[in-house]
Amino acid sequence: MRFYLQKIGFYVVAIWAAITINFVIPRLMPGNPVDVIISKMGAAGQTVTPQTRHAIEVALGGGGGTWWQQYGDYIVNLLHGDLGTSLVDYPEKVSTVIGQALPWTIALVGLATVISFIIGVGLGMFAGWRRGSWLDNLIPVTTMFQAVPYFWLALILVLLLSRVVQWFPYAGGYDVATTAPGFSLQFIGSAVHYGFLPALTIVLSSIGGWMLGMRNMMVATLSEDYIVTAEAKGLRPSRVRMTYAARNAVLPSLSGFAISLGFVVAGSIVTEQVFSYPGVGQLLFAAVSNNDYALMQGVFLVISLSVLAANLVVDVLYGLIDPRTRAR
Amino acid sequence: MTTKKTRLLIGAAAVAASAAIALSGCSGSGGKNSGAAGGTSTVTLFSGQVGNFTENFNPLSPTGSGLQPTNGVIYEPLFYYNKAKAGNPVPLLGTSFKWNGDGTELTVKVRQGVKWSDGKPETADDVVYSLNLVSNNPALNTSGQKWVAKKTDDSTVVIDFPATAFTLEPQVLGNEPIVPESIWKSIPDPTKTTNVKPVGTGPYMLKSFTPQSFVLEKNPNYWGKGDQAPKVDQVRYISLSNADAATSALQSGQVDYMGSFLPTLKQIMAQHKNLSYSNSPQATTALFTCSNPGLGCTGPQTDPAVRQAMYYAMDRTQLNNQAAAGFSTPASPALILNTVNKDQITNPDYLTVPQSADVAKAKSLLEADGWTLGSNGYYVKDGKELDLSINVVSGWTDYDTICTLLQGQFKRAGIKLSVNQVAQNAWTQAEVSGKYQMSLNSINMGPSSNPYFQYSQYLSSAATAKVGGSATTNVSRYSNPAVDAAIKTLASTNDKTKEQAAYKTIQDAIVKDMPYVPVYVNSALAEYNNSHATGWPSQDNQYAFPLPWGGNWGVGIVLKTIRPVGK
Repeated sequence: MRFYLQKIGFYVVAIWAAITINFVIPRLMPGNPVDVIISKMGAAGQTVTPQTRHAIEVALGGGGGTWWQQYGDYIVNLLHGDLGTSLVDYPEKVSTVIGQALPWTIALVGLATVISFIIGVGLGMFAGWRRGSWLDNLIPVTTMFQAVPYFWLALILVLLLSRVVQWFPYAGGYDVATTAPGFSLQFIGSAVHYGFLPALTIVLSSIGGWMLGMRNMMVATLSEDYIVTAEAKGLRPSRVRMTYAARNAVLPSLSGFAISLGFVVAGSIVTEQVFSYPGVGQLLFAAVSNNDYALMQGVFLVISLSVLAANLVVDVLYGLIDPRTRAR
Repeated sequence: MTTKKTRLLIGAAAVAASAAIALSGCSGSGGKNSGAAGGTSTVTLFSGQVGNFTENFNPLSPTGSGLQPTNGVIYEPLFYYNKAKAGNPVPLLGTSFKWNGDGTELTVKVRQGVKWSDGKPETADDVVYSLNLVSNNPALNTSGQKWVAKKTDDSTVVIDFPATAFTLEPQVLGNEPIVPESIWKSIPDPTKTTNVKPVGTGPYMLKSFTPQSFVLEKNPNYWGKGDQAPKVDQVRYISLSNADAATSALQSGQVDYMGSFLPTLKQIMAQHKNLSYSNSPQATTALFTCSNPGLGCTGPQTDPAVRQAMYYAMDRTQLNNQAAAGFSTPASPALILNTVNKDQITNPDYLTVPQSADVAKAKSLLEADGWTLGSNGYYVKDGKELDLSINVVSGWTDYDTICTLLQGQFKRAGIKLSVNQVAQNAWTQAEVSGKYQMSLNSINMGPSSNPYFQYSQYLSSAATAKVGGSATTNVSRYSNPAVDAAIKTLASTNDKTKEQAAYKTIQDAIVKDMPYVPVYVNSALAEYNNSHATGWPSQDNQYAFPLPWGGNWGVGIVLKTIRPVGK
């Protein structure tokens, strides 16, 4: 019990710190949103006079008061679940704006992370089991994909798979001309088709890490005494591989996986930029370039909370998977 | 227990594998999709929107966050002021207007028989309501000027101004959307509504919306008949995140109408005969200098001779070819357009800036001002080297290229230039606060092609502030009593002779003082696909300013002019 209370206490402090840092960091950036809006209006040919600044300040409201007052308001609103009003999409609520983008990111990056983990760990397991076989040669290839700058890999794939051979679309979340979001086969098929290429780039560029880590843990585990014992007892090789070696070897990868699941929500800013994907990454990019504090805070908050939640889940699950961590 | 887990893992791998097979199987079926579906004609428009659309059709939004079609396509003003060519305003919901002698009263004839897209009649009362709504609400009133509109009879609205207001004409007549009183009077705060069910008088109305794309359809109640009526059934808006995606979309026929700068445009046009484009240069790219030591500016650029030297040291042909892909047009040292505003340029010498570098002239200007050439090739005065810094937004590749080229060009004239690539926020902040030496930016037009707007925004003392304060638009801190007086004259008269005299005063002053050193007039390219619809603007026929940006009323004119192919 004391173990769990300590954990909960730790998470409460961590959440408070995350919320506070969220509040401070956007305010350390140069510039202010009114200037950004005015410079955009000027570029669009709107009349800009000193009164325009006044009009926008009146319209946006807020922003006033000392940092302490703003911090107080921020915490109170947060407790009510109110993340504030977005400036980019004024007067839309931040929670609505994030809510529109979040499912796309979770589906794309989440699925890609899971696929990458399963394939990477699976290949790593076999590579460790039969070390020295041809599978080992796959490792430099996958790590090369990981080392290549991500945007470059993505652009090359776009060039090959959607320009040279036109198998996949180069932009968007689904075919907006023929279908609308909903639980129809047509929409899901379209979303899968549009998501395949971005997912492929994520998988290609992250599989190497999982594979290498799993292979090396596998090799270390295979030299343990209980493996020798299991083999000496005459167990089937597949059983030794799976339940004796792999189960132990996968533990470090599993905690890494949980953490990377937490970061799924952060989206992949570069992926979403390259593929015009309607997710959180693009939203964050827009928020930062427009000094939209409320939207930035909202996005950062969702990211930090999901990382903390993923950590909590790992902490709890780890105790279940590996009984040794519970004992003190 | 353990065997169960094993199977689970294997099962998961199998699912993943089969999913991968299913995915790759479905990939073969992917192909092109055309913009048209069935018998309805559709054009697809890319407004430059990045990421999800947020449903907002508020035409009055002071922050301009209403989606592109709100102003011009769904809602209409009284008149349309075309910034792409000189000419009279195009009547929309108004049919004619007249000023009184001293510019304090504007009488507008209102079009009769207009209906809102929900079928209810639009009347002079709606016009009065809309104009007064803006005037009386400080958060909506971006011009800061007050007026009172009243109806004198069913077809006439009179707008009274407290003072001479000739220059407010394009703002009031051409930049204020007319909204239905019956709907808007029950909206408690017009700045905070997102107006998701827009009811306007424009040629198109909202059909369906998703955050990734939305569709407009013809307004069956539109007042225009024949050529004035919309002919394409539907307009679809899509979002794309970058120029690469936009180029692909244009080439593959998935976008019919967009306004992106594509460096390879000429090759694309040569390869695809169904595409066309138009260029409507409007914004004069210039080196903005913090020019006024009296308001706290520091650095060598506060010396007019240095600014003049930079003016002559530029090789603008090279800048145009390498930074603007040859699409920019020559600027005028009078800082207004030598195309649309040709008649208002008072001296033939002010028509165009020199296109090639005149290093000898630049050097002689500096030497006459007391600069001496140092041993390392840069000029020195009072022991200080002629060393300037310029801010430019990193990632604005054309501007970044200009700065890189200028480094070399200025070096030949003995001027050292260091380039600071900064984020847009920091760049704006530096200009507004005056804590910069030079900044690469552009002189933008106002709501009409009247040069008053450029001059009052970029040169008047009223639009500036001391270094450290917030300058609205005159970030050069230029302040000249003669120019201020001339701007005041422009605001208070519509007598052509007086206007020309005022233009002359201003232009003589700024060509001498050069607070903004003009580079070129930036291209504004719009691209069209003629295979789904024709009748788009062309280089020679810019019946409306065509760029499909937010806040451009001209898009409504373009969309009702085009006609579907084969009908």
